[in-house]
Amino acid sequence: MIFRFLLALWLAKIAMVMSKLTGKGRGSSLPGMLALRICPDILKHYSSQTGRGAIMITGTNGKTTTSNMLAGALEHAGYKVINNREGANLLTGIVTSFIKISSFTGKVSCDYAVLEVDEAAFPVVIKWIQPRMVTITNFFRDQLDRYGELDTTISKVVGALKKLSADTQLVLNSDDPLVAKIAAETGYQTTYYGIRPAAEISGRASYSREAKFCPFCSEALTYAVYIYSQLGDYKCPNCGFTRPVPDIEAASVRHRQAKTVGAVIRSGSSEWRLELPVQGLYNLYNALAAFTASIKLGLKPEVVIASLNRYLPVTGRMETFKYKNKKVILALVKNPTGFNQALDGLLVGDEEQDLLIAINDNDADGRDVSWLWDVDFEILLERQERFKRFICTGQRAEDMAVRLKYAGVSVAQISIEKDYNLAIQAALSGECQVISMLATYTAVWPVEKILSGMSERVKFSEDHGMSSVS
Amino acid sequence: MKITVCHLYPDLLNLYGDRGNVLAFVQRCRWRGWQVEVMEVNLGDPVNFADVDFLFIGGGSDREQNLIAADMGKRVENLNRAIENKLVVLAICGGYQLLGKYYRTPEGKEIPGLGLLDIYTVAGDTRLIGNVAVEAELDSKKTMLVGFENHGGKTFINDTMPLGKVVSGNGNNGVDGTEGARYKNVFCSYLHGPLLPKNPALTDYLISLALERRGYDLELTELDDSFEESANKAMVKRLIG
Repeated sequence: MIFRFLLALWLAKIAMVMSKLTGKGRGSSLPGMLALRICPDILKHYSSQTGRGAIMITGTNGKTTTSNMLAGALEHAGYKVINNREGANLLTGIVTSFIKISSFTGKVSCDYAVLEVDEAAFPVVIKWIQPRMVTITNFFRDQLDRYGELDTTISKVVGALKKLSADTQLVLNSDDPLVAKIAAETGYQTTYYGIRPAAEISGRASYSREAKFCPFCSEALTYAVYIYSQLGDYKCPNCGFTRPVPDIEAASVRHRQAKTVGAVIRSGSSEWRLELPVQGLYNLYNALAAFTASIKLGLKPEVVIASLNRYLPVTGRMETFKYKNKKVILALVKNPTGFNQALDGLLVGDEEQDLLIAINDNDADGRDVSWLWDVDFEILLERQERFKRFICTGQRAEDMAVRLKYAGVSVAQISIEKDYNLAIQAALSGECQVISMLATYTAVWPVEKILSGMSERVKFSEDHGMSSVS
Repeated sequence: MKITVCHLYPDLLNLYGDRGNVLAFVQRCRWRGWQVEVMEVNLGDPVNFADVDFLFIGGGSDREQNLIAADMGKRVENLNRAIENKLVVLAICGGYQLLGKYYRTPEGKEIPGLGLLDIYTVAGDTRLIGNVAVEAELDSKKTMLVGFENHGGKTFINDTMPLGKVVSGNGNNGVDGTEGARYKNVFCSYLHGPLLPKNPALTDYLISLALERRGYDLELTELDDSFEESANKAMVKRLIG
C-alpha cells in the first residue's frame, strides 16, 4: 500500500511541475485528481500528520476569505499551516494542497490544516479527515442544478457532522437561522458569532431571501432587524426558536465606506477595535468567523486582530488594478446573495463608472443562469446617473443583457461582447475613471489574466496611499 | 387600461429566479404604455381570481409545497371558475405539478393536487437537469422556446395538449417527447431560465390572451427584442446547431 501511496504522490508532484511549466491552469485540482485515481485513501496518510488537527470551513459564501483569514492569524501566531488557499475546495483540491507541501517520502510538517470545504463535498471529505473544529459561514441559494435544493444541501452537511466525534467544536453564525439551528441538531459544543442588530446596518429585504420560515416548525419568522438576505435578528413566534446571543459580537459597525469596514469586537467584557482593509458587511462576517475560531484555538485576541487588520484578499475575490489613470475593480460573483453584496458595494461613493459583467455557465459557475433573476439589479437604478455603460461578456452574455433590460436599464447603455479581450478593451476605453468588473467563477480567471497583462495590480497597502482617481 | 398581475406565494414559490416571468410580463405591458398592478398573494391573503388578468405560480422546495397545498385547497373552486372563464395562467415546475391530479412519491403514496388539469406526476429516480429547446405552436405560429429544466418528478399529461415538442432535453418525463401542458388559457412548463424573458413570443401571446379575455381586440405594438432573440438563438444554436 505504501508503494501505491508513493506512486500517487510522485506522479501528482510531476503533474504539478508540468502544469506550472506549461502554464496551463493553476494546477490546483489536477494533481489531486491524478493522486486519487491511484490511491483513493491518500488523505489518510496525511490526516494524522497535522499536529494540532484540522479546522474546516464550510457554508455558501465566505469560505475562501474566512479560511485565509484564519490561516493568516495562525501563521501570524507562529504556527505552520496547510491551507487550500486558492479556493480549490473539493476533495481533489484538498488532496493537492497536501501534496504540494508533502516531502517525497510523504511527510508533511504542519501544526494545523485549515481547509475550506465545499458544502456538497463536505460529507466525502470528512470520511478521510476528521476536523476538530467546523466553522459554518451561511447558507444561501447557490448553483441549484449541482446541489439540488438548499434544504437537501443543509441536511447532508448536518448528517455528515453527526458522524464526527462528540468533542467536535462548532463555530456558527448566530445571525443565519439555517446555520444557528445546527447547534441543536448536532449537540456539539458551539461558539456563536454575529453582528449586533442595529437599525443603521439594516439592509433592504431581498427577493432571494432564503429562510423566511422556522427551520423547526415552518412558522414564518419575524425579524427585529434584517441585515441582508435571511441574516438578522430573527425569532419564531410559534416554537420560540430565536437568534442565539453571540459569544463574539461586532458592534458600532461602520461599513458604508469604500475600502474598509470598522467595528468593535466584543467578547464578555473585553473589546477590540477592528479595521478590516476590505469593504462590505460580508467581509466583517468572515473576519468574525476567523476571529472566533482563532480564539477557540487559544490564540491571543490582539494577535488575531493585528493579523486581520492586515488582511490581503486573494486573486479575484475583490482586486484593484490601475490602468492609465483609471481604477479597475474586479470581483467574483457566484450566487444571488454575493452578487447583491457586490452591487451594494458599487453604490458606495460618487464616481461615475462603467460596468463589465462576465457570466459563464460551466459546471463550476452553475449551468442554470436563472439565478441572475434573483439578483436585485434594480437597486442600481437608485443611482442611475452614476452607471454609464453595461458591457456583458462570457458564455451567457446575452442572458445578462436581457436581465439588465428587464431591470429597467436603458437598452442604449447595454452592449454584448462575447470576446473577453474586446469586452475588456471596450470597458477600459470609456470616459469613466472607475470600471467595475464582476465575473462568475470560470470567467474571473480569464478576465484577471487579460487585465493583469494590460494594467498594474494595486496591492492593498499601496491602494491606501493611491491618490483618489475620481 | 390597467392590467392586474397576481404572483401567487412569491415568498414560498420563488425558486430558480422564476419571478423573472412576472417581471417580463409586467415590463412588456408597461413598455406598451399600459398600467400594471402586481398583487403578491401569500398564505391566507384574499384574492378573487376573476379580477386577475395574469396569474403566475412558480416552484418551491418540498417543505414549501406542503404549506401551500393546504392554503390552495381553500381557493380551488374560485380558481377553477376563473380558469374555465379563460383566466391566463403560467405555472412552472412545482406550480405545474400542483395543478395536476396527484404526485406519487417514491414510496407509492399519492399526494393529491388541485386536480384542475388531467395530468399526474410520478417521482423519478434521477433528476432531469439541463438546457432544453422546445418547439411550440402559439397562435398558429411555430416558435422555439428555450429554458433550463431541473425536476425530480416526471409528469404525464394523458390527453391534455402539451406546450410543445422537445427538440433537446427531457421535458415532461424524458420519455414521450412532450414538454409542459395547455388547457384553455393555462400554460404549464418545467422550463426555468426564467421562461418568459427569453421567449418573448410566448410572453406576448399570454398578454394578447389576457387582453382578449377582457374584451380588447388589440394588435400588440412590436418591441425591439434583439437581446431576447439573441439569448434565445444562442441557446438554440448550442443545443441544435
